[in-house]
Amino acid sequence: MTPETLPETLPELAIDLTPTLIVSTALATRDFTPVHHDPAIARAQGSKDIFLNILTTMGLVERFVTDWAGPRAVIERVDVRLGVPAYAGDRLTFGGTVTSRAGGRVTVRVHGRVSLGDHATGTVTLKEDGRC
Amino acid sequence: MTDPLHELADKQAALGEVRGAPAPDPVNAPMIRHWLAAMGDANPVYLEQGVAPPAMAQVWTMDAPRDRSPVDDVLAALDDAGYTGVVATDCGQTYHRYARLGERLTPATRFTDLAGPKRTALGVGFFATWNVTWYDEDHRPVAEMLFRVLKFRPPEVGKPYPLQPAVNQDTAFFWEGAKQGELRIQRCADCGALRHPPGPMCPACRSTARTHAVATGRGTLHSFVVHHHPPVPGRELPFVVGVVELPEGVRIVGNVVDCPIEKVEVGMPLRVTFRPMDDRLVLPLWTPEEA
Amino acid sequence: MLSGRAAIGGIGATEFSKESGRSELRLAAEAVLAALDDAGLSPADVDGMVTYSQDTNQEIAVARETGVGDLTFFSRVEYGGGAACGTVAHAAMAVATGLARTVVCYRAFNERSGRRFGQPNAGLSGEPTSQGLEMSWHVPYGLITPAAWVAMFARRYMHVYGATSEDFGRVAVTMRRHAATNPAAWFHGRPITLEEHQASRWIAEPLHLLDCCQESDGAVALVVTSAERARDLRRPPALITAAAQGSGAGQMMMTSYYRDDMTGLPEMSVVARQLWEMSGLSPSDVQAAILYDHFTPFVLTQLEELGFCGRGEAPGFVRDGGIALDGALPVNPHGGQLGEAYIHGMNGIAEAVRQLRGDAANQLAGVTNVLVTAGTGVPTSGLILSSG
Ligand SMILES: [Zn+2]
Repeated sequence: MTPETLPETLPELAIDLTPTLIVSTALATRDFTPVHHDPAIARAQGSKDIFLNILTTMGLVERFVTDWAGPRAVIERVDVRLGVPAYAGDRLTFGGTVTSRAGGRVTVRVHGRVSLGDHATGTVTLKEDGRC
Repeated sequence: MTDPLHELADKQAALGEVRGAPAPDPVNAPMIRHWLAAMGDANPVYLEQGVAPPAMAQVWTMDAPRDRSPVDDVLAALDDAGYTGVVATDCGQTYHRYARLGERLTPATRFTDLAGPKRTALGVGFFATWNVTWYDEDHRPVAEMLFRVLKFRPPEVGKPYPLQPAVNQDTAFFWEGAKQGELRIQRCADCGALRHPPGPMCPACRSTARTHAVATGRGTLHSFVVHHHPPVPGRELPFVVGVVELPEGVRIVGNVVDCPIEKVEVGMPLRVTFRPMDDRLVLPLWTPEEA
Repeated sequence: MLSGRAAIGGIGATEFSKESGRSELRLAAEAVLAALDDAGLSPADVDGMVTYSQDTNQEIAVARETGVGDLTFFSRVEYGGGAACGTVAHAAMAVATGLARTVVCYRAFNERSGRRFGQPNAGLSGEPTSQGLEMSWHVPYGLITPAAWVAMFARRYMHVYGATSEDFGRVAVTMRRHAATNPAAWFHGRPITLEEHQASRWIAEPLHLLDCCQESDGAVALVVTSAERARDLRRPPALITAAAQGSGAGQMMMTSYYRDDMTGLPEMSVVARQLWEMSGLSPSDVQAAILYDHFTPFVLTQLEELGFCGRGEAPGFVRDGGIALDGALPVNPHGGQLGEAYIHGMNGIAEAVRQLRGDAANQLAGVTNVLVTAGTGVPTSGLILSSG
């Protein structure tokens, strides 16, 4: 893959936030905080339902970008502003565009939205063809 | 700033980077495979080249024994000061390189900044920022993270409204209706007479059989007062209370809201609106009917 | 028939102040002794006592303090200041029927230095009693003070009859002018102008501060006995020519906003009808009226309900000086509650007695019949007292 082949707009990625996804990602990130797997506790603490943990948000942003950039890309930096919670039963939809491209380094503007609004917005910087 | 919270924050920042315990396990394929499966990430590069997804940096040390970090004292002090709410606002990660299978990472935490108090949508609060760096066994940084949370003072939710109505079996239907967004007017089940305020016996036919009608929610201001003095618990001064005449043929008292006081006048058309006063009382109030 | 059977033979009062420095029971006892002394009677002569439901001094306590012995009649009258003339009505009935020979009516409170009626009390709607439920249609909206309850009627009266705040103000100005020459009045020597009324701050629009009566500490007591016996007492009697209580259809404590017409006082109409019937008199037969004046607008309404002028005509009647000392119907020569003191209407009954005796501070000429009313906006009562 050459730099020229990467399109300017990233293909949208929609992820259904099933309870299975919320719980399995929380456990895969070694995050055992009950609000990420126990609906009763989550509700008792004022949340609508269990919701995505931050480590997973970062992981999904990374996946969204590498799905587009391919296996040769190397992620250098991910900056995310966190917004509304991503609750079980919602759908998280990522979109993104390239904002700069220089010397094999690409910066992508990314947003992940749920029904309540922006869950995560930020930038990801990567080398298109790098060594890990 | 010289208040105790900022003093503590400055003290904790002055501690610089404080090392935590090393990761309990080296970077390993099973945890990577587990992560990739959960994330739905099909990128083959990690397992093929024996490196971890970079966003896993924090995962390796999640299970490490937690020593008290410089951040904890600041967060505890904010809790004690009433800023008990917490929400993460920013997470920035820089990856110097991808961690390799077999490496054991060690985190180090540095408290960087406390900003506030600031007025936010969630309430008044402080933004606390800290940095974590994960080092390899040669003490070279592999990944860094900036993390920022808003610690806020939750608004006084559930504070009871001081002017509660007494409610009994003759009047409960009205207040239940208000909770459901209905303006209910008692109707005699025998002669059909509408009546407000309600009561146990129809003054027209002496029936005790009752039902209710749901009013259209329109009304006309029959009279009103602007209360200036003395202060009334639970109310901001001045406020307007009116007698509203309904097209159904009964009158009801309620506040006129969302209208400049100088615009309130006898005869103005009104529409009902339902306002929660606390977590158990909803009052039917009145707004100007748009022409 | 009650007319002419009983009389007020003695009146007594404490000083009127903003802070009596004494307990309410002590005020009651002092006023009772003063009234008995005025009549030339002793506590041993008393066998009946009547007060307001709102009074904090039980009849038995006042009897204990004053050394009164056996009581054969005791009673309370409801609805705040609406009780004032009702206490005399109850006493007169007891005397006329032989239940008691000498009944003392009293009202004593530290309304300024103690519990103030004008302050919001969320407890009004606290219990599901009939009154608590009635209040529950008003208190949750912050409609919680007597001034605001009355202001709601006043606004409608203004809307229907074109009355203005100045029309209410002229009532206050007249009352303060009367009080200015009454040494017993709190506002003795302190008249006001209409401009001062207009400039006073809003309490509950359309009511200014100077539309609201003062708050007072003090007590008033009256001695009621038979007409025959009253004639033998120390002072000339004030015959109870008529006494009545009144409540109207759809009546509420002070928020009767659900009746067809909000511009009148139907309960006062009930009282008026009985007073004229019982006395055989008509409005032209009374030389003075003591009209309950906790808030100015209801003075206008009373003039209409009692038949001293037609519907909507009271503002003009007052504008023409009708309620002044030299007017067609002098009202509250003592200055009323706006000017003299707020003793829940009881001080007005004492003024009526003085006018009949001929020894009032602002004594009118040729007074033979005085009409007295009690609290307005509430179920109420009234009297016609006559010289005899
Ligand atoms: Zn009926």
